[in-house]
Amino acid sequence: MAINAEGDGADPAAGVVATDVHRSFGPVRAVNGVNLTARKGAVTALIGPNGAGKTTLLLVLAGLLAPSSGTVRVAGLDPVTQSSLARTKTGWMPDVFGTWDTLTAREVLTTVADAYRIPRAVARPRVAGLLGLVHLAEYADRPAHVLSRGQKQRLGLARALVHDPEVLLLDEPASGLDPRSRVDLRHLLRDLAADGMTVIVSSHVLSELDELADDAVFMSRGQTVASETMAEASSSLRSWRVGTLSLSTLTAWLTDADIVWRPAPGHRPGIDLPHDEPGAVLVDLAGAEQASELLARMVGARLPVSSLAPAAGALEQAYLALDEERR
Amino acid sequence: MKTRGAWAVSRQGIRTVTVLELRQRIRSTRWVIALVVWFLVVAAITGLTFAVFRSDLIGTDPTQPWIGRTIFGLVVFFVLFLGLLVSPTLSATAINGDRAAGTLATLQVTSLSAAEIVFGKLLASWIAALAFLAVSVPFILIAMSAGGTSAASVLSTLALLAVILAAVCAIGLGFSALTARTPASAVLTYIAVATLTVLSLIAFGLTVPAISSDDQVRLYDVSPAATWDQSGDQQCVWRTQTIRQVHTERTWWLLAINPFVVVADAMPESAIGSAGASAGDQDPMSIIRRGVREARTGPGNEQTRCWSSTQSGPAERPLNRSPVWPWGLAVNVLLGAIAVWFAVRRLRIPQRNLARGTRVA
Ligand SMILES: Nc1ncnc2c1ncn2[C@@H]1O[C@H](COP(=O)(O)OP(=O)(O)OP(=O)(O)O)[C@@H](O)[C@H]1O
Ligand SMILES: [Mg+2]
Repeated sequence: MAINAEGDGADPAAGVVATDVHRSFGPVRAVNGVNLTARKGAVTALIGPNGAGKTTLLLVLAGLLAPSSGTVRVAGLDPVTQSSLARTKTGWMPDVFGTWDTLTAREVLTTVADAYRIPRAVARPRVAGLLGLVHLAEYADRPAHVLSRGQKQRLGLARALVHDPEVLLLDEPASGLDPRSRVDLRHLLRDLAADGMTVIVSSHVLSELDELADDAVFMSRGQTVASETMAEASSSLRSWRVGTLSLSTLTAWLTDADIVWRPAPGHRPGIDLPHDEPGAVLVDLAGAEQASELLARMVGARLPVSSLAPAAGALEQAYLALDEERR
Repeated sequence: MKTRGAWAVSRQGIRTVTVLELRQRIRSTRWVIALVVWFLVVAAITGLTFAVFRSDLIGTDPTQPWIGRTIFGLVVFFVLFLGLLVSPTLSATAINGDRAAGTLATLQVTSLSAAEIVFGKLLASWIAALAFLAVSVPFILIAMSAGGTSAASVLSTLALLAVILAAVCAIGLGFSALTARTPASAVLTYIAVATLTVLSLIAFGLTVPAISSDDQVRLYDVSPAATWDQSGDQQCVWRTQTIRQVHTERTWWLLAINPFVVVADAMPESAIGSAGASAGDQDPMSIIRRGVREARTGPGNEQTRCWSSTQSGPAERPLNRSPVWPWGLAVNVLLGAIAVWFAVRRLRIPQRNLARGTRVA
């Protein structure tokens, strides 16, 4: 797994660059040495167990918390010394949600537009457009507190986009969303990134991120433990699941071919083998090319293979490979 | 575009926050109920005051100016009392309440400066307090119609009430920036108001022994060897004696910071009663005014105890008649200003120190 704290040569003036960022709350070291580069025009996933410091890091990036040490550049600006300017270029969506109860969805967005000093004439069509974008147009004039959790979440996303930021920081945006909205969110974020926005998403739903993120940054105990591009994650060694109609035939062939295999979860341990039953085993392969090669060989050997697929998402495997403990 | 600091303020920014706050508040029905209750309570008190002071119980001619001023004074005091009760509820949860609801940080990350958020919230709570004051205006005018009070002093009293309520709102805002939990800031604000109004009075009373001393005082007194002359007047001489005196000139400010004293002291003196205690000056406002000014003057080191009609003794130590209310008002406004300054400091981002047990979001 390639560690690339320096990024892939992306323009450091753009996107988000965090260098050796620390932030503690009294004795608690919530963020304890984070190095991160989020490329402009790409979606960067921030992945880590509960208490890893993701939310704290996003607060530092959003300019709400000052880092105890280390430097941060957001769209080329320092959120500590150039706070207000950096804020106008940053959209932030918190994980815990608060809305002004008695305001309607439309009023929430116009208030935020006012707060960013966007002229009313510009704000009005923009707010209408955003409400449509997050599929809340029919709820535009209802009080925000009657919205469902997922609808509030989408309103929060619209709120983070009101001022057309260059950098978008989303703290677990997918939580509470139904599958349809998740797909919409994914498309929306991909479109925004395609338009040149820098998007950072923290999330636990790793299977979502597989298709959403370009890069991934793993955090644990306040530190970035690894960061890699999705291409790297998919090409690094990971488990593939081989389904077969006859376990004994397959395992015998794999052993002959010097390919390390282990029983897939849910199947009896290897000791009981061989027996001539349908089943599956796991093999470690480095990327899709190796997989197609293996498939060709197995088909060539006329083995009763029924399927070959990654055992889990690329990120999930990379995540589990980190073997870091939950806090 | 220049970077705006925490103290940058623009009218548009303040208006955004104020409108947001008021919208949230006005749409809750509680607000209307509170105004109606307030209206009824002030109406009841005004009616009762009239009933008592216009009845035969008083035993004087009810058209005397001091009766009118008493009615006016009581109604104004009651409005101030209610205002001091209500204002803390308008502002004392404005910041920590928003933080708990998770809406504060979403304002902080916008282009609004910390000062705009604080001033916007202060303005909103002050406007709400003024709404209560506006509901009371009819009754203050009715009380004025009882006579003895000029239209000018009604206006100046209303202006003073408005400023005092602004100061109390600001103090509440400061406490709401200080504590994480809303009940704590509400309690602290009420303690602050009680300190200004009641506790300061108690402290004034309790410090009397501490400010008492045995002083050598020149007394103009009846001479011990006095004989009554034909006219029945006393023979008076100067002598020096040690007597116990209460030096209220050291603690008068405890009275002066009291919002009730501020309002009373600022009322213009009645034309009739300018020469000390007279029948024209029996209304509560005048009694308070005279009391606090006497306290400020203190006992001095010369006293006259000889009231002779023929002998002209030394003049009474003159009462310091300069108004006390500017000092009291200044202290109240200063406390409010400190609270606002503190609140802005607490809302500055990026935050370095977090209050224990709070999260930004
Ligand atoms: N204001 C605070 N005061 C004290 N400790 C804090 C504060 N904020 C966060 N922490 C601690 O810092 C650590 C990181 O918290 P953070 O919220 O950043 O985690 P996270 O990665 O977002 O977790 P999750 O996935 O559960 O959202 C946790 O151990 C938390 O208890
Ligand atoms: Mg979090």
